[in-house]
Amino acid sequence: MLFEVKGLSKRFGRIAALADVGFHVRSGEVLGLIGPNGAGKSTLFDCLGGVLSPDSGTTTAAGKPVGPRERRSLLFYLPDGIAPWPEQSVRWALEFTIGFLGGRAELHQEVIQQLGLEELLRQSMGTLSKGQRKRALLAIGLLTPQPALLIDEPFEGLDLRQARDIAAAFRVHVARGRTLFLSIHQIADAARFCDRFVLLSGGRVRGEGTVPELAALAGSGGGLEEVFLALT
Amino acid sequence: MRSPRPAFLWLLEKEWRELLASRAWWVLLLGMGPLVGVSFISSVRTYAEVSGLNGTAAGVGEALSPLTGVWAPTFSACELAAVFLLPFVAIRLVAGDRQSGALKLELQQGISPLGRIAAKALVLLAGWMVAMLPPLGATLLWVSYGGSLYPPELIALTLGHALNAGLTIGLAAAMAAISEHPSTAAILTLGATVGTWIVSFFGAVQGGWWERAAGFTPAAMVAEFQHGLLRLDTVLIALVLIAAGLGLAAVWMRLGTRVKRRVYESVGIGALAAGAVFACTNARASWDLSENRGNSFPAADERALRQIQAPLRIEAHLAPEDPRRSDLERHALSKLRRVMPKLQVTYVSATSIGLFEQTGAAYGEIRYDLGGRKTVSRVTTAEGVLEAVYSLAGIMPPAENDEAAFRGHPLAVTAKGAGSLFYGFWPGLTLACGILIRRRRK
Repeated sequence: MLFEVKGLSKRFGRIAALADVGFHVRSGEVLGLIGPNGAGKSTLFDCLGGVLSPDSGTTTAAGKPVGPRERRSLLFYLPDGIAPWPEQSVRWALEFTIGFLGGRAELHQEVIQQLGLEELLRQSMGTLSKGQRKRALLAIGLLTPQPALLIDEPFEGLDLRQARDIAAAFRVHVARGRTLFLSIHQIADAARFCDRFVLLSGGRVRGEGTVPELAALAGSGGGLEEVFLALT
Repeated sequence: MRSPRPAFLWLLEKEWRELLASRAWWVLLLGMGPLVGVSFISSVRTYAEVSGLNGTAAGVGEALSPLTGVWAPTFSACELAAVFLLPFVAIRLVAGDRQSGALKLELQQGISPLGRIAAKALVLLAGWMVAMLPPLGATLLWVSYGGSLYPPELIALTLGHALNAGLTIGLAAAMAAISEHPSTAAILTLGATVGTWIVSFFGAVQGGWWERAAGFTPAAMVAEFQHGLLRLDTVLIALVLIAAGLGLAAVWMRLGTRVKRRVYESVGIGALAAGAVFACTNARASWDLSENRGNSFPAADERALRQIQAPLRIEAHLAPEDPRRSDLERHALSKLRRVMPKLQVTYVSATSIGLFEQTGAAYGEIRYDLGGRKTVSRVTTAEGVLEAVYSLAGIMPPAENDEAAFRGHPLAVTAKGAGSLFYGFWPGLTLACGILIRRRRK
C-alpha cells in the first residue's frame, strides 16, 4: 500500500463537501475516483494535493502521518481547469517542470512523443486548445518525480483516439512503478483504464474495489455503470 | 536527475519571463518617456528663465539648486508611475499565478512562500529600475548641457523613488494575494493610496496625530528625498512596511493553509509591523545630502546648538493652515530637530485655519522653554528661532560665514534633444524591444 486516507472531512459553510472519507491507494495501480457531478471528487483531490486544507482526517504512508513535507515527496496533483503560464511556450513549461519541480529529465523526449507534443513545443500555453492544453498538462504531470500522480479529469477535452493513446502512455509509466489516481466522471472511460475504483457520492465513499468487488457490494450484476447507478 | 540550478533561480527566471510578457510593464516603460520628457523639458525651461534667459534679469537664480529646480520635478514622473502604473504590474505578477492555476502546481515544489514572494519582489524592483532609465538619461542630458550634478542628491532621489516603488510593490502584492480577483486588488491598492492622501489632507487641516501620521505617507517620504534629506526613521519605516506587505502576500499565497490561521498570522504581522514602526520613529539620525544644505542650519550654528544639553520645549500657537506654521516648521524646526534630539514641539490652536483666533493675545506666540528658562517670540524665520534659542542658552551667535553659503548653479539653456529622446527614441525603443521579445519567445 502506498498511502491511506482516513476520516477526511471538508465543509464549505453548511455544505459537507466531504464526510469521513477513507480509502487506500496501492503502489503501482491505476485507481479511479468516480462519482456524479458534485460528489466531492475535486475537493478530495484538492485536499490530498495540499491546495485546500481539510477540516479533519489523516493521510498515512507506511504507518506514518503524511505532513506537507512528506506529501511533496509522495504525490503530485494535477488539477483540472487550470491554464498555467499562459504566456510561456510548452517547451519552457516542460523545462520548468524538470528544473523547478524536480522533474525527470530522462523522460523529457519520451513524454513529448507519448503525448504528441512535438508540434506544440513552440506554442504558448495560453494559445493551446482545450485538448492540447490537457496533453501539455499531462506531460507536466508525467515528468514529475513523485511515486503517486493525482490527475483530475485526465481525459477531459480529448478525443477517443487521444484518450486511448494517453491511457497507453499511462500504462507504460505504471509498469515502471508509478501509481496513478485519476478522477474521472465518464464511467465508460474509468472502466476502460482503471484497475480499482473509489466511488464517491454526496461527499461519502460508497464503495472501494475492483468492478466485481463493487458489484458484490451493490448486489447488482453487470459492469461499472450498473454498479455506479446502484450505489449512487 | 535533478536540475543543478537552485529552485529559487528557476523561480527568478520564471518571474522575469512573466514580467517581460506583461503588457502592464511595457505600458509603464512606454509611459515613462513622455512623463519624464514633459517634466524635464518644463523644469529646464523654468530653470533657464530664472537663471536669466530671454531677457530675465540675470543673477535672479544665482541660488538655484538643480535638485529643487530640475531633479525633483523630473523624478516626480516616477511618483506618478509608482502610483498609477506600477500597481498593475505588481498585481499582474502576483495574482497571475493564482488566476491561471500555476500557483497550485508551483506550491507543490515546497519552496517557502517568502522565497516565492521575494523572487517576485526582486523582479519587480529590477523592472522598476529599468523604468527609471529615462530620468537617469535626463541627468546625462543635463550634464551634456553643462549643468551641475551633485551625486549625493541624485542618490537620495533614486533611493526615495526606489523605496516609494517598494511600498507600492508591497501594498499591491499584499492586496493581490489577499483578494480573489486582480480587479479587486487594483481597487484596494488605489484605495489605500487615496487613503494616504486623505491622511495628508487631514494632517494639513487638523494637525496633531494626523499631521504626525502624514509625515510617514509615501508622498511625504518622497518629498523629503526631493529636498535631499535622508532620515533613518523614514527609511526604516518604509522598509518595515515593504516587508510587512510582502509578508502578508506570502501568508495569503499559501492556498492549503486554513483561512483562520492566515488571518491570525496576518494580525501577527500587522502587530509586529506596528511595533517596529513605533520603534523606528525613535531613530533620530539623518543626513542632509543636498548641496545647498537646505535641510540644515549653517555648520557654525549646528556646532553651537549641539553644545546645548538642556531639553528645549517649544509651544507654537499657530493653526495647522496658518502659513507661518509651515514656515516655522520647514525653515526652522525641522532643521532644529536634526541637531537637538531633545527638542519637543507642541502646536496649540483652537481651529484649523486660525482666522478667528488672530484677535487672541496668545495667538502667534512661540514660547520657548530651555531647561526652565523661558522666552516668547513671534518670529517664524530660522534666524528668529536661532536668536531665541541662543539668548536662552546664553550663547553668542556664531559669526556669519559668507564663503560657506551656497551660490547656486544657474544655467540658461534650452532642453535640446530632450523631445527627441523622450517622445521619440524611448517610446520607439520600448515598442521595438517589446515586439522583438514577444516574437523571440514564440
